Amino acid sequence: MEIPARQSLPAMKQAPSHQGGQKGDPAFRLLVTATGVGVLVVLGAIIAVMVTGGWKAFATFGPGFLVSAVWNPVTQHFGAAAPVFGTVISSALALLVAVPLAFGTAFWLTALAPPAAASVIGMAVQLLAAVPSIIFGMWGFFVVVPVVAHYVQPAARQLFGHVPGLSALVAGAPFGTGLFTAALILAVMITPSITAVMRDVFLSMPAVLRESGYGLGATRWEVMRHVVLPWSRQGVVGGIVLGMGRAMGETMAVTFVIGDSNHIGWSLFAPANTIASLIALEFPESPAGSLKLASLMALGAILMAISFVTLWFSRWLLARGEQAAGH
Amino acid sequence: MSVEVPVKATGMTQPLDSATTSKDAPHPVAMQVRGLNFYYGTSHALHDISLDFPERSVTGMIGPSGCGKSTLLRVLNRMYDLYPGQRATGEVIFDKQNILNSGVDLNVLRSRIGMVFQKPTPFPMSIYDNIAFGIRLHERVSRSEMDGRVEDALRRVALWPEVQDRLSASATALSGGQQQRLCIARTIAVRPEVILLDEPTSALDPVSTARIEELLDELKTEFTIAIVTHNMQQAARCADQVAFFYMGRLIEVDSTARMFTTPREQQTQDYITGRFG
Repeated sequence: MEIPARQSLPAMKQAPSHQGGQKGDPAFRLLVTATGVGVLVVLGAIIAVMVTGGWKAFATFGPGFLVSAVWNPVTQHFGAAAPVFGTVISSALALLVAVPLAFGTAFWLTALAPPAAASVIGMAVQLLAAVPSIIFGMWGFFVVVPVVAHYVQPAARQLFGHVPGLSALVAGAPFGTGLFTAALILAVMITPSITAVMRDVFLSMPAVLRESGYGLGATRWEVMRHVVLPWSRQGVVGGIVLGMGRAMGETMAVTFVIGDSNHIGWSLFAPANTIASLIALEFPESPAGSLKLASLMALGAILMAISFVTLWFSRWLLARGEQAAGH
Repeated sequence: MSVEVPVKATGMTQPLDSATTSKDAPHPVAMQVRGLNFYYGTSHALHDISLDFPERSVTGMIGPSGCGKSTLLRVLNRMYDLYPGQRATGEVIFDKQNILNSGVDLNVLRSRIGMVFQKPTPFPMSIYDNIAFGIRLHERVSRSEMDGRVEDALRRVALWPEVQDRLSASATALSGGQQQRLCIARTIAVRPEVILLDEPTSALDPVSTARIEELLDELKTEFTIAIVTHNMQQAARCADQVAFFYMGRLIEVDSTARMFTTPREQQTQDYITGRFG
């Protein structure tokens, strides 16, 4: 832009696009800076609303709010422990199911599947990731819940009901609703998105690095385990965290099948609640200014905090992994 | 094509046609390509290639981009097998066996026919593990033996003095030339019989390139080497025989000296004098 216009280059003297650029540049800069700062403002505002909204609950119950499992609108006693427990356990179980499934699918799609099948199924995976959660909720309620009630839990009780240590996990009446069903639905919901991310990072690896592994005589699994996975570690963890975020915050599908019970217990088949399902169920019955509403807001703040801690923890894990690998 | 060696099933000990043998030391043939055709889908990339790779010597493969020289290299260890739609017909005889047969164990084959790529491809792990990885795939060795194998491989590519203090450091932190020597060390650590090099110095500076070329001279005392190169000086410096490819056909193959002084084909003459390519 500072090129001196010489006599021999008359065209350079009047370069309208440059002048437009000089005016437009600061404006554009202002615009993108505003959007960047806007992210911070929105995030800060959300945190502020949740914390101030929930302040009454924190002030009334103190730290006990976090450890109390009581949720009794009649006596006006509210505690976060039961829904936090439900959230963490259902998400963890969902990940336990979803991650191996997603990894297997992504591995198959990128290393083994015939190309025609890979493209069709790859597309189906992305479509599945886009199915609205209410659909999963209805499917869960009308299909999965009866199946769990009639077949899965009775079978589990038959198998493990008399095994010391495991019997508690399958105890309770076979309602069909509960942690297990919620985790199952969540797993089905998050598997496609985790698969899609894993597939993309596996595909983004330079072919020549993969070929180097095969060139040494490694099998497909050995190449996946020792070359592709270490190389794509960051993306894989990113995909899992994304799935976990969705599982923890998922409301509609979980609300359908979790059974609405603020109870902490060993049984995987017992009705429970997650933070999101409890908020969805109780919000309409919480008058403005009430302690119950404040408690629900406080629960929202806790859910955000759990998400942030998880995100931070996964980043820390990755950084530590990279240090160990000597990057 | 001038190379007309009569082929029997046991081509290994066949005396060579004088055209493919360096005058002073006739080597037995390690690998024989016969009537090879290669297809990327419907595109016919290699036409009826027949070529011998003499044992413990360097075969240079030259030709303009897209002439099929890298494609041929990828046939020799069945690397093309990873990609559906790519197929080869004809014969590649290695150790009395046609390696294009479907029953061939590719993992074993590739441990016997190693490959080094255009760009250095260190694995995302430590220097030590980069070498040990390939060994572990095929053998069970004790920790101390592994240490010895790793050191030996690194010494042979003259990398040992530079990395012996940081074997557990990430291989990706090495310079490009070091990385490429590491990749060669990784390949020879598996103790292959043939090493395929696909333009191994095209991403390297002149000093690193010279070191790799020196290395090839030592390695050929033990391994059969096939090197694809864009650089005719490199072919002249390193190779014992040179094969010239053009548009998917093998135009000419001869000893390096004759290839660069008195080529028989006009196309070869044009290419090596820089008239095209």
